[in-house]
Amino acid sequence: MGSRALLMLTNFNFKATVSSFGSASNPFFLIKNNLRIRNFSTKTRSSLQPPDLPGLAETARISLAPNEVEEFAPKIGQVIDWFGQLQAVDLDNVEPAIRADTEGDNLREDVPQTFENKEALIASVPSYEEPYIKVPKVLNKE
Amino acid sequence: MASTLFRTIQIHPFLLYPTALFSRRNGVLYCTMKSSQTQTATQEKQQPPKVKVPQHALKKTVDKITRDYEAIIGIETHVQLSTLTKAFCSCPYNYGSQPNTSICPICMGLPGALPVLNSKVIEFAVKLGLALNCKLSLNSKFDRKQYFYPDLPKGYQISQFDIPIATGGYVDLDLPLEFGGGHRKFGITRVHIEEDAGKLLHSGNGDYSQVDLNRAGVPLLEIVSEPDMRTGIEAAEYAAELQRVVRYLGISNGNMQEGSLRCDVNVSIRPVGQSEFGTKVEIKNLNSFSSINRAIDFEISRQALLHSQGQSDQIVQETRLWEEGAQKTVTMRKKEGLSDYRYFPEPDLPEVILTPEYVDSISNSLPELPEAKRRRYEKMGLSMQDVLFLANDMNVAEYFDATLSSGADVKLAANWIMGDIAAYMKNEKLSINDIKLTPQELAELIASIKSGTISGKIGKEILSELLAKGGTVKGLIEEKDLIQIADPVEIGKMIDKVISENPKQLEQYRGGKTKLQGFFAGQVMKLSKGKANPGLLNKILLEKLNGQS
Repeated sequence: MGSRALLMLTNFNFKATVSSFGSASNPFFLIKNNLRIRNFSTKTRSSLQPPDLPGLAETARISLAPNEVEEFAPKIGQVIDWFGQLQAVDLDNVEPAIRADTEGDNLREDVPQTFENKEALIASVPSYEEPYIKVPKVLNKE
Repeated sequence: MASTLFRTIQIHPFLLYPTALFSRRNGVLYCTMKSSQTQTATQEKQQPPKVKVPQHALKKTVDKITRDYEAIIGIETHVQLSTLTKAFCSCPYNYGSQPNTSICPICMGLPGALPVLNSKVIEFAVKLGLALNCKLSLNSKFDRKQYFYPDLPKGYQISQFDIPIATGGYVDLDLPLEFGGGHRKFGITRVHIEEDAGKLLHSGNGDYSQVDLNRAGVPLLEIVSEPDMRTGIEAAEYAAELQRVVRYLGISNGNMQEGSLRCDVNVSIRPVGQSEFGTKVEIKNLNSFSSINRAIDFEISRQALLHSQGQSDQIVQETRLWEEGAQKTVTMRKKEGLSDYRYFPEPDLPEVILTPEYVDSISNSLPELPEAKRRRYEKMGLSMQDVLFLANDMNVAEYFDATLSSGADVKLAANWIMGDIAAYMKNEKLSINDIKLTPQELAELIASIKSGTISGKIGKEILSELLAKGGTVKGLIEEKDLIQIADPVEIGKMIDKVISENPKQLEQYRGGKTKLQGFFAGQVMKLSKGKANPGLLNKILLEKLNGQS
């Protein structure tokens, strides 16, 4: 099962201040208020909030110049509105689904297996000071 | 073990009274909580007025102040599971390994790597959910909790946000007797599965830090309690009970010092009678149950004092660190609003589906849990003190149960285990699984004493040998010829011999020095090599000394 990256974002040209490894996809359109639990499948038919680009850039650790903010905001807004078409669906008689797919467990047994090529893993670390990975000092998680 | 820890606290009664914490600095106390030595930039800007008050008066004042307020305490606990492999990859996890030796592309978060859930993690989570009397979510999912930090390789933590695997449970516990005892029931809001981050070490000289990813991806269960605790001791005992439960279940070492059991505490106070909660303060860096107790009591006093001085606005929602050396909490960082973790369902992991059959099979395989054991021991007639000791460590409880099933008397078995055997274990630094005395032989020992085959004193003597070397009670009795002499004629003969050999003492005794009975008794015991039945000995001795036979 692959990660579902949003290919349309590749149209944008941005410089990352911190590159994050892993299957990164940051769908900006998700409701930012994390405290509202699973609200997106219930009533809200109102138009979606326009994106707060400076806030989004901050949380994604991507630096944007003021002109870039101006340029990207409407483009990202368009992406959001494109997905916003889903709002038209009548969900009154639909049970909220926990996940989009219907496949179940893909589990593995609790059996240790050492990864063979650890040297290659260490070699790929940009800044390694045996036996630790050397990183800039960051004290606060925010 | 918690009970041993608390016994330590008992020796230092001042810890029960928060004011004593101030008295360490100097004879005259200040009303301010601010330390003059450690000034951090983010400390309170305003200097509260310094008032010099004699110690006893301040103690009374603080006690009176804290009595006007009710503390609301909640605890978030992270339990590191003792699975053989990590949560989402097959890397083994061993505490203390060389840094960055247990890694792979998945737990390092390298591009293209995908997580695969360890089935044991679900099993352990269900076990804990059931043990904590929770409602299990038969369908739950994983979510990404996104933030940037050097020990978080993927830039997100796989966790469970809105649909945790278990919700709405509770724990029952009994407070230790040295703190007043009493039964308590604390609610559990939720239990969810998540992965641990790596270890981040800040180097001494400023500008860089070091990351060890051995721990990244290790499975954790986060347990969030309802804000039901009201004092430091209730909170500490809650944590101790969680430790007991996870150890009984065999899902974790539950070791606070090693980091396999981590507690963060949230404390707020409100004037008694008020329904709105006060400002909540989080406390981190608690490494033992006694730290939990002391940190909370300190924080309650700190907040109460500020309230009483009309400075409750100085209490802000923040994270504070408990400093074990200074015995106080200090500001770590102020919480500026809620963090935006941009939770969304983890696309790389399928739903977690539990069938009722699966849950039932796990439910049937659960061992007898601490609470059930305590109630059963109580019904057997044991005192609360005995109950708490025996049920604290699962291995001790099993040993006790095995001794009983070999026919031993409940009270006697409890006394031997809690007394001589516990002392031996402490001295030799052994666990009950390491001692050579088997439960069956302990039962045999108890029975031998009870039946009069050997005396109590002899019993204690052979106990030490049995503990250290093993062997059987019957064997030792035979080998060393320890059977108690209970034949009055034989005892009489020995007494006659001792009396005839000590005419001077006999005369002194008959002259009024009745204390000499002990001397005669000792001599007879010596003659009998300790085997004379003491009761019978003294009875016949008295008769003979008083010239009655």
